[in-house]
Amino acid sequence: MSLLSDNTTPAQAHGRGRFDATVELNRVICREHYVLRLRLPGGFPPSLPGQFVQLGCRPPGAPDGAIDASWLGGCEHAWQPGDTPPQAQQPELRERVSVLRRPFSIAGRGDDAGGSWIDVIHRVVGVGTAWLAGLKRGDAVDLIGPLGNWFTLPAGKSMGLLVGGGVGLPPMFYLAQALYEAGWDAVGFVGALTADLLAVTFVADTPPDGQGAPWRCVEEYSQFDFPTVVTTDDGSLGMHGRITRGLERYLSAQTREDAAKTVVFTCGPNPMMHAVARLSASHSVDCQVCVEQAMACGMGTCQSCVVKIESPQDPHGTTDAGRPWRYRLACTDGPVFQAKEVLW
Amino acid sequence: MGKNTTTTQQTVTPSLAVDLAGLKLSNPLMTASGTCGYGYEYGDFVDLSRLGAFVTKSITAEVRPGNEPSRIVETRAGMLNAIGLANVGLDAFMAEKLPPLQRMRQDGPRIIVNVAGHSIDDYVNTAGHIAADEDVDAIELNVSCPNVSDGLTFGTNPKLLKELVGLVRKAMRPACKLVVKLSPNVEDITATAAAAVEGGAQILSMINTYTAMTIDINKRRPRLANGTGGLSGPAIRPLAVYLVHRVYRCVARDAGVPIIGMGGVQYWQDAVEFLLAGASGLAVGTALFADPATPVTILEGLTEHLRQQGCKSVTELIGALELHTDPPAAPYP
Repeated sequence: MSLLSDNTTPAQAHGRGRFDATVELNRVICREHYVLRLRLPGGFPPSLPGQFVQLGCRPPGAPDGAIDASWLGGCEHAWQPGDTPPQAQQPELRERVSVLRRPFSIAGRGDDAGGSWIDVIHRVVGVGTAWLAGLKRGDAVDLIGPLGNWFTLPAGKSMGLLVGGGVGLPPMFYLAQALYEAGWDAVGFVGALTADLLAVTFVADTPPDGQGAPWRCVEEYSQFDFPTVVTTDDGSLGMHGRITRGLERYLSAQTREDAAKTVVFTCGPNPMMHAVARLSASHSVDCQVCVEQAMACGMGTCQSCVVKIESPQDPHGTTDAGRPWRYRLACTDGPVFQAKEVLW
Repeated sequence: MGKNTTTTQQTVTPSLAVDLAGLKLSNPLMTASGTCGYGYEYGDFVDLSRLGAFVTKSITAEVRPGNEPSRIVETRAGMLNAIGLANVGLDAFMAEKLPPLQRMRQDGPRIIVNVAGHSIDDYVNTAGHIAADEDVDAIELNVSCPNVSDGLTFGTNPKLLKELVGLVRKAMRPACKLVVKLSPNVEDITATAAAAVEGGAQILSMINTYTAMTIDINKRRPRLANGTGGLSGPAIRPLAVYLVHRVYRCVARDAGVPIIGMGGVQYWQDAVEFLLAGASGLAVGTALFADPATPVTILEGLTEHLRQQGCKSVTELIGALELHTDPPAAPYP
């Protein structure tokens, strides 16, 4: 399996499964955002940037085991060590957490003597991520993956622009690692509403440029010698404005020859990706988007994470502009699509 | 029966086999339509050959793209979906999706194909065509989809339902069983259950999702693009258990029509509740999305429970509910 290869091969052909992972670290990276490193002692199947995992955001296993004595504060004397603890009679009464898993892009991955580790970055937005935020080193997490397709590195290209907005940053970090290994050049574009929502590690003494010049100011990219443009909507750090402002400045300064070698890779909120796709198209630069959709299973059965993709073959319908489209699943046909095929 | 026997644990493995109107299953566990795709999707995560039966998603005569997204939203202890019967259509199902199911069937699970339609002719043609295949053990009629405009036309009208079921039954290969999936979105479910049985349903499955809605309070719009959706998951289990109990006592038991119970089944305890209420089969739906291996885990828990209860067969639990008004089966010691 290679980034250079076609990404339409079903991911399951490369192996995937359910794993018992252990928390190695769960570190606050900025306001509301955590980097969660999960250890898989038995290893993890091959994965590529763009792919994701589904995390069970609740204690793994069935809840019908022994009642956790710590819930009963002060009542521990009711039984002696070695006694069988009381058993939960009504499983649903222990359900204080999410029903469905939560999908997270892989933000990084490594393999060593202790198996494999997977990094994800999560933002606390609800009951599932709040549970994740409380995880401590050694805690167990139920993980399914790797799921979905991946970014591809087209032949003849050698420059990647990694445009990540908000929680769209994680797959870009993983991709940076792959681009470095493939000998590509890259520039990171990192945007958020405001400075304290930027889920990156800043290089000490190298603040981002206020005019949008790419500097080695973000650790996640500078470790591969890639510079970064930082934008904030409120101007609290880096260039004032949306991420597309920084990208436009960069694309406009590119020579025609450079543009021909460039691919934009993007992940973030849909309106942002749509704007990035338009901008890339207007500069005749290829663009791949990694979409985010609400999903129940992540494995291709529930049919909820559909995206309208231009498809002359077996179309489900035709747009007002006459473009034939078909619903594709973000979980198994995606999450990575060619931007020009996405009907926003 | 079965009370106070926890101390005399048996070493014999209890039988899990059930017979649904002649449809013999190695165990009562199956997938709920629409939650396990066409079977292959979960292949990496669960050994489907351990199921008693596999139920496909709804198949319609034509290809259906489904509803606009967003199609799902999680709610407290459940989820709402409005997929809109997205499926590959009859021709592609027969050509591409059925052959892998036929291979899976050789290893154990019986194959039940769920069928939906717009009109009586539509249902009759689709069901008749699919039922002609010898490897299709049963057709489940979806007359209870809350997420397409005509999804509930038949499921809420006893007279129409009886007519539909009768005509579909006639069009099917005789050995292929007919299951009718009931909607909870009716005034009196015993009326639709009775109509289905009178029309010729050999098995009832219940329940489909509850029509429901959730609202984004900032946008002041429904969270689902479809406006409404079907509520499933642990949130509806007590509602489903009650309806199974009611239909079992009022219609199914006397008519000798087995029930496939479903609605929020997630743990083996849930499965036991449905069995006691009168279900002979058990379908797992929403829980599969979070853990495709749920039915296998339930199977293990259920086996252990039967052993502890001193039951030789899972059939001893079916309808074994004792009401508080019943005389106690055995006096306390």
